[in-house]
Amino acid sequence: MGDAFQQVSDSMGELIESFFTTPIFGDATVGFTITTFYFLLACLIMLAVFFAYKRKMEGTLVPHGFFANGVEYLIDFVANDVCKGALGDTWKQHFPFLATVFFVVMFGDYIGMLPTWKAGTGTTGVTGAIALMSFCYFIMVGMKKKGVFGYIKSLAPSGLPAPIALIVWVIELFSTFLRLITLAVRLFCNMFAGHVVMGVFAIMATTFVQPMIAQFSAAALGTGAMSILWMALLILIYLVELLVAFIQAYIFTLLSAVYVQLAEAEGH
Amino acid sequence: MNVIGYGICVIGAALGIALAATAVANSMARQPEVQGRLFTVFILASAFIEALCLIGFVVAIM
Repeated sequence: MGDAFQQVSDSMGELIESFFTTPIFGDATVGFTITTFYFLLACLIMLAVFFAYKRKMEGTLVPHGFFANGVEYLIDFVANDVCKGALGDTWKQHFPFLATVFFVVMFGDYIGMLPTWKAGTGTTGVTGAIALMSFCYFIMVGMKKKGVFGYIKSLAPSGLPAPIALIVWVIELFSTFLRLITLAVRLFCNMFAGHVVMGVFAIMATTFVQPMIAQFSAAALGTGAMSILWMALLILIYLVELLVAFIQAYIFTLLSAVYVQLAEAEGH
Repeated sequence: MNVIGYGICVIGAALGIALAATAVANSMARQPEVQGRLFTVFILASAFIEALCLIGFVVAIM
């Protein structure tokens, strides 16, 4: 059994390597990578789903069937739980953007849950791009509402003595830019870590059964029986990851909505 | 060494999420009608805590 554990830790490097993105053409900095490909695929699937939904809803306001009801439930979820909850009165104005972010992230996450496919959101390049869009969006909303200088000034709360206001302003500016990084890194880390954990259990399940296939003995049977446990854990982790993929899309959208709300808020 | 560091990191995150969950469970018992809003706050808080832990995970295996 010790051998099997050694073998697992030997193949860890290879496993982690396989989750890094590889370029199809160009290089990993500027170019078309495998993750970008799956992200585009996820976007295409998303568009197909929504055009199909739109065709189904033509000429009627009542959704019929599992598909139309399911899509409508998700849209309602974004509208009620995320937008109305976080934004209040102006939710209708920001709903299109936030719903787009939600569905792009959700489809990007779920496409990685299919075996041998890679998550579209599994690299900092893609998550960074989505985070940058939502970052630009809330800054634009703030600047539209308060004017360019008004927004920059409103980072620090009004009514503070000058030296403290300057310090608070610098801290707030720093934390505003930190939002961009945390949005991107949170999504990437969740996808990456989840896939690594699933990969480890998959490797364990196969490595522990190998001695039993090579030469059948009582000891090998004991080791092989362990792989049933790893298999069960793998399925459990897979179910948790299905939940995490949805929660990450939800959190990404919710945080974007909260940032928009903060940019809009009159004085804080 | 990496694994030990990550273990320490997990202790912090576990305590954080446990504190948040305790507070939410207590509040829900006191005031069941705000369940929906509490759930949002709980998910948000655990997302922030969990992010730190996951950053630790990625740093540990790299």
